[in-house]
Amino acid sequence: MIEPIIRVIDLYKDFGPVKVLKGISTDIAPGEVVSIIGPSGSGKSTFLRCLNRLEEPTSGQILFKGEDIMKAGKRISLYRQKIGMVFQNFNVFPHLTVLQNITLSPVLELKVPQKEADAQAEALLSRVGLLDKRDVYPRQLSGGQKQRLAIVRALAMEPEVMLFDEPTSALDPEMVKEVLYVIEDLAKSGMTILNVTHEMGFARQVSDRILFIDEGIIQEEGDPDSFFASPTSPRAKEFLSKVL
Amino acid sequence: MDKIIKILIKYYPVFLKGLWGTMWLATVTLLVGTVLGLIVAFLRRSRFGVLRTITAAYIQVLRGTPILLQLYFFWIMLPRLLPFTLSDTACILTALIINASAYIAEIIRAGIAAVDPGQWEAGRSIGLTEVHLMQKIILPQAIKNILPALVSQFIACIKETSLASVFFIRELTTAYKTVTATTFLAIQPLLISGVIYLVVTSILSVVAGRIEGRMKASD
Repeated sequence: MIEPIIRVIDLYKDFGPVKVLKGISTDIAPGEVVSIIGPSGSGKSTFLRCLNRLEEPTSGQILFKGEDIMKAGKRISLYRQKIGMVFQNFNVFPHLTVLQNITLSPVLELKVPQKEADAQAEALLSRVGLLDKRDVYPRQLSGGQKQRLAIVRALAMEPEVMLFDEPTSALDPEMVKEVLYVIEDLAKSGMTILNVTHEMGFARQVSDRILFIDEGIIQEEGDPDSFFASPTSPRAKEFLSKVL
Repeated sequence: MDKIIKILIKYYPVFLKGLWGTMWLATVTLLVGTVLGLIVAFLRRSRFGVLRTITAAYIQVLRGTPILLQLYFFWIMLPRLLPFTLSDTACILTALIINASAYIAEIIRAGIAAVDPGQWEAGRSIGLTEVHLMQKIILPQAIKNILPALVSQFIACIKETSLASVFFIRELTTAYKTVTATTFLAIQPLLISGVIYLVVTSILSVVAGRIEGRMKASD
């Protein structure tokens, strides 16, 4: 068996008295595309945000290529360089141009020469159809364009895993497709992807595996076709009957 | 009215020197206070609880006691604590700076807190170190909130330097006292000083408004 790129062991997360994650364990294989679905408030976003420690787990282990990132201390930024993340609200940097958004971290943290970083950023921008926007500020971009920029900004660090936290939830309906297309393209290229989503059709189409999370635990997991066709857990049945 | 004109003709150098003193005190207070305030604001966010507690107390004491009392305190204590002699002006200026640093630390803290939390997360998610995150992402955006408030603080500094007249340090309110003492006229010198303060602070208010407008436009 191949070594998992991410291994999560018995992950717990409390927010004060509220227990959000109650013991999540799973392995993510390199190149695997995993969609995480579940009702809102089920803990799926919290789970994702624990993986790069934007959220500090209460207990449990998260291994990235066998190394415990809970013990990273200040070196956590080194792991985060390898684990890209895309947010629901884009979180592009409004005071930087599109190109600067992308090249900032490669130049500062990976010590890539500016010229090289610019060239790499331009290649990424043309891949997502944004090359003509390279010198504008994010306020001049549509939601879909901002999200594509956010994806490219993460990719510029050449991550080994990409985390998507409801990447299309804040988008106007007509812009959802352009973002999903980029994610799908990425999935086909062999990137390891964890995708928290409400887009059931998309999850079924691109994923290798579905994780259904509710009440802070993985209630059910499996390949997308059998999960969507015949869920076994009562919670998954109930959830799917509401959303499909 | 003709008395005012006569006073102006005869004593305008006194008022001008006073205005100069006021602007000098306020400017040095703001500049040094900003450097000190920045340090306090960062210590306030320190990983070490002791530093956070000390800076919180520092801010609370300076904002929770009258500034005039603080001026007296420094005027009395500094010469006793320091091994070298210190002029009254230096003592009072130190007190003004330290007082301003507490307010400016809070301005900076609030300016940083107003930056969207998503910006911190995005910066961390692409692997920026905390120092780079602060330098390149957070502070450039916090400046938009901080600059207009700093101009308001400058206006406050200009008005507060009038308290230095208690210690007869050369500034605009001391100029009023001087002219009143020599002319035995109470009202006219007071009006003149007041109008000068008003003109300066009004100009700065307009500047503050412009800066705020420009900062909003660039969002």
